[in-house]
Amino acid sequence: MSDSFRSATGRKVVSRASAADLGMVSYFLVDVGQRRIASVVVGRGKKARLVDWAQVSGFGPDAVMVSDEGALRPAAGDREQAAADGKLDMLGKRTLTERGNKVGTIGDVTFDPATGVVEMLQISDRTIPADTMLGSGTYAVVVDASQEPVP
Amino acid sequence: MGALDWLIIFLVLLAVAAAAFVVIRRRRRGGGVFATRGKP
Amino acid sequence: MKLLMTASQINGLPVVTVHGGDDVAEVRDVIYNPEAGRLVGLTLNKRGFFSGRSREVLPAEAIHAIGRDAVMIADESSLVAPADAPDDVGHPATDRNVIGNDVLTEGGTSLGVVRDLALLVGSAGEVVGYQIEKPAGGHGYIPLPAQLAVSGAALVVPDVTQEFIRDDLVGLGAAVDDFRARLGMQ
Repeated sequence: MSDSFRSATGRKVVSRASAADLGMVSYFLVDVGQRRIASVVVGRGKKARLVDWAQVSGFGPDAVMVSDEGALRPAAGDREQAAADGKLDMLGKRTLTERGNKVGTIGDVTFDPATGVVEMLQISDRTIPADTMLGSGTYAVVVDASQEPVP
Repeated sequence: MGALDWLIIFLVLLAVAAAAFVVIRRRRRGGGVFATRGKP
Repeated sequence: MKLLMTASQINGLPVVTVHGGDDVAEVRDVIYNPEAGRLVGLTLNKRGFFSGRSREVLPAEAIHAIGRDAVMIADESSLVAPADAPDDVGHPATDRNVIGNDVLTEGGTSLGVVRDLALLVGSAGEVVGYQIEKPAGGHGYIPLPAQLAVSGAALVVPDVTQEFIRDDLVGLGAAVDDFRARLGMQ
């Protein structure tokens, strides 16, 4: 069963140890090289914290269980800070091919909730495999030339 | 002066500011097409 | 990939890193070699509505691809200091702006005045034609031979160019191969 960024955004994050409510899923930080979710951003603004995927004990349809409150940590470094600020959010981001042509904007991103592996990108009128991703940044998601739009 | 006079002054200043923005931006952004210098 | 773009379509494009996905700069000037008919490099502006010139430049060899929506580079190391780039890119000859130059056939007829370049961006930025403003008014596109003589304020083209003036980039694209075949047969 797949999950998606759009349906998972806003889902509550709960400590497995204490059952305490730790906040809501706001953004995802994706490791493009490994094609998986590196960290989940919980909360927004100054209160935003990151949870590394390894600390997610269960990504369920109703709640994201993390080992304990200590799993939440502040952003470290520019890329994590950009993620925490929502600047790396793939939802709504323009998608360019490596040849410099726009494919569309990302409507949703599907992933395997058991492993965090990113599966498909839903772009405008079509769905493309996430292994075509070459990069994801503040301006665009870049995919390889196999996704060139036909003129 | 009536409200209409003030409105006209405001609109003129707005137009001048807009024109100034366009000019400043065009000068700062440049953007030409240049040939390389040929063999001497 | 047969994508034709004009130099004015390339001015202002964002420069985006393939692996970073960030817009690290924006295209300012297009620098090309008219004799060899190819793109030599790009000068850059910083991103931002009022931002000015960027110190760094982008030589043609460091460009990963040029497309309708962005100029792609592998990563930020593709941008270099002017001292590390060909002199024409690091210090462009701003007096050598071909826009406005007269286009003369070898027989002495003026086809008009240059308004823009047409480049084949799928290959290494080959200049395949010019957009001209015709003497009677209106725009057209003329194909260029593989090599071209540029002197002073005029460009000299073969007489047969007159038969290949087209109305748009699509027409130009179709005309280039026929035109060059015609030249090769003379």
